[in-house]
Amino acid sequence: MLLKRQCAKHGVHPIHRSTCQNVICMATINLENLSMIYGSNDSKYTALSDVNLDIRKGDFISLIGPSGCGKSTIIDLVSGLKVPTEGTVLIDQEPVNGPGPDRGTVFQDYSLFPWMTAFENVCFAIEHTNGTHSRAAVEESAQKYLDLVGLGKFRDAYPNTLSGGMRQRVSIARTFSMNPRVFLMDEPFGALDSLNRIYMQDLLLHLWSEGARRKTVLFVTHDVDEALLLSDRIAVMTPSPGRIKEIIDVPFARPRCRKSLSASADYVTLKAHLLSVLYCEMQEAIEKQSVDHRTAA
Amino acid sequence: MKTGLVTEQCLIIALLATTLVLAVIVPDAPAQAVSNNSIFIGILFVLAFLFVAELYLQPKNIQTVTDIFLLLSGLLLLWEVLFGKLALLDPFLFPGPAKVFAVFGADWEIMARGVGNSLFILTSGYLLALIVAIPAGLYIGWRKRLFAVAYPVAKAVSPIPPTVYLPYAIVLLPTFWASSVFLIFIGSLWPIFVGAVYGVFSIDQRLINSARTLGLSENQMVWRILLPGAMPSIFSGAMISLIMSFITITVAEMIAATSGLGWYIEYHHQFANYDKVIAGMILIALVVIVIMFLFDRIQQHCLRWQQV
Repeated sequence: MLLKRQCAKHGVHPIHRSTCQNVICMATINLENLSMIYGSNDSKYTALSDVNLDIRKGDFISLIGPSGCGKSTIIDLVSGLKVPTEGTVLIDQEPVNGPGPDRGTVFQDYSLFPWMTAFENVCFAIEHTNGTHSRAAVEESAQKYLDLVGLGKFRDAYPNTLSGGMRQRVSIARTFSMNPRVFLMDEPFGALDSLNRIYMQDLLLHLWSEGARRKTVLFVTHDVDEALLLSDRIAVMTPSPGRIKEIIDVPFARPRCRKSLSASADYVTLKAHLLSVLYCEMQEAIEKQSVDHRTAA
Repeated sequence: MKTGLVTEQCLIIALLATTLVLAVIVPDAPAQAVSNNSIFIGILFVLAFLFVAELYLQPKNIQTVTDIFLLLSGLLLLWEVLFGKLALLDPFLFPGPAKVFAVFGADWEIMARGVGNSLFILTSGYLLALIVAIPAGLYIGWRKRLFAVAYPVAKAVSPIPPTVYLPYAIVLLPTFWASSVFLIFIGSLWPIFVGAVYGVFSIDQRLINSARTLGLSENQMVWRILLPGAMPSIFSGAMISLIMSFITITVAEMIAATSGLGWYIEYHHQFANYDKVIAGMILIALVVIVIMFLFDRIQQHCLRWQQV
């Protein structure tokens, strides 16, 4: 009953309601002919141009590319924070219409509200996704997810007093606690040092692959190793205008082990390929920039 | 530093003791003579007691507290010696401490009623301003179209000093109470309003986006995100408003009241009771100190998430 009401609230089409009723809320994401143009007539900037991407249920997709290639714009479009100039975003074949709690978003370092403690942040998110829950149920669930990321003891700490890594763990706990259909992560570990990043990647993989909680994930990164470790597929993007250049399958079996993976020959070849694609792009971009600069001058 | 602190503490005790001895043994200058200097002596004892309590409690900011004690006891001694005993300046305009503090004993009923009346008007007007200005500021800061209209108007109206409305307030509103509440309300409104609007603007757009992805309703957005996010700025506006309210209420009472802190000073000024004028000033200072302390505490509590 509760879930049905939730579905009705979020405007899920009756045909797709079945996916939601199984508690395991997963969804497909389809990006169809997405274009995003900023600015008015005289100063146009094309952030995205004709992007197509189909993401299956329970898929982990990474978007990788140099800065300015429109990775974050895609996250903003899927989360509903921005409206595309052309094209549509479909979640479970339903067009996205504004932001909503069915898509859990983790940003680089601005997801948590600094005036709420870690615990209150998680509670707040749960309250506003499942409005009908009792207070006790909300608090129990929040505690459970904080424990899950190893921060049960830090429940009453304000985000300002936590380290960057801990803040991201709270963000992830919050997003998982909302039980969204889709996970959107915009360089969530970009601001962390490498040791913390390794820890967070493993934590995310662990939480994600835990049977019932396996979500469809759209993950933005600029780190090749991170993309290879986490994803099922990697979409390589090129800048100005932002486009998907190539979609690479990552065939490694799960669960993946960081150590053995990085030593395997397949991994090395795939990484080399990815790097060369990115490197070419970067050179092109730099050349283009210098040409633009010269013409501008 | 430790020995420096101990020397300072000894000095404070010496200063207080000297003042006490002077007050008890040495007679006042004839022009400053007062029948009863027990309140001044009592205050010296209270000060000494508080100082001993400080030594005993050892607060974290002991250096600052000790410095303040040194300043107070030094000033008291100077006041007692220069004006009370030697009467260096016109004794009529510059009464000694025994004379001034004796006023508190004689007039305490009028003073207490005055403080009560002033604070009642102040809190009514100020709370009314908070209740109106914060929601209005948050909504107008959030809605760009409302903002485009309201902000220029607010900016034009806000520098008008609230006492300018006094003639109209007195004519149009039935009682002194109503008109001064109105004045304080109008005077406090703009700084809080501008603080709330500016506070909404200063919230990081990424935080707003994060909130939007949770799918909050308009009301939740305003009260759970915008209000706490704008709180630091609201507090700086509220602080300005509080100071303005104090000035407004004192001036209003000086012009039109029959009771209150401002009235007390103005009334006795007319009769040239300068000891009572100074006592009234001390009373106002004490009230302001207490209110600012409470304000600080509330601010610290509300913004506890900001402290790292």
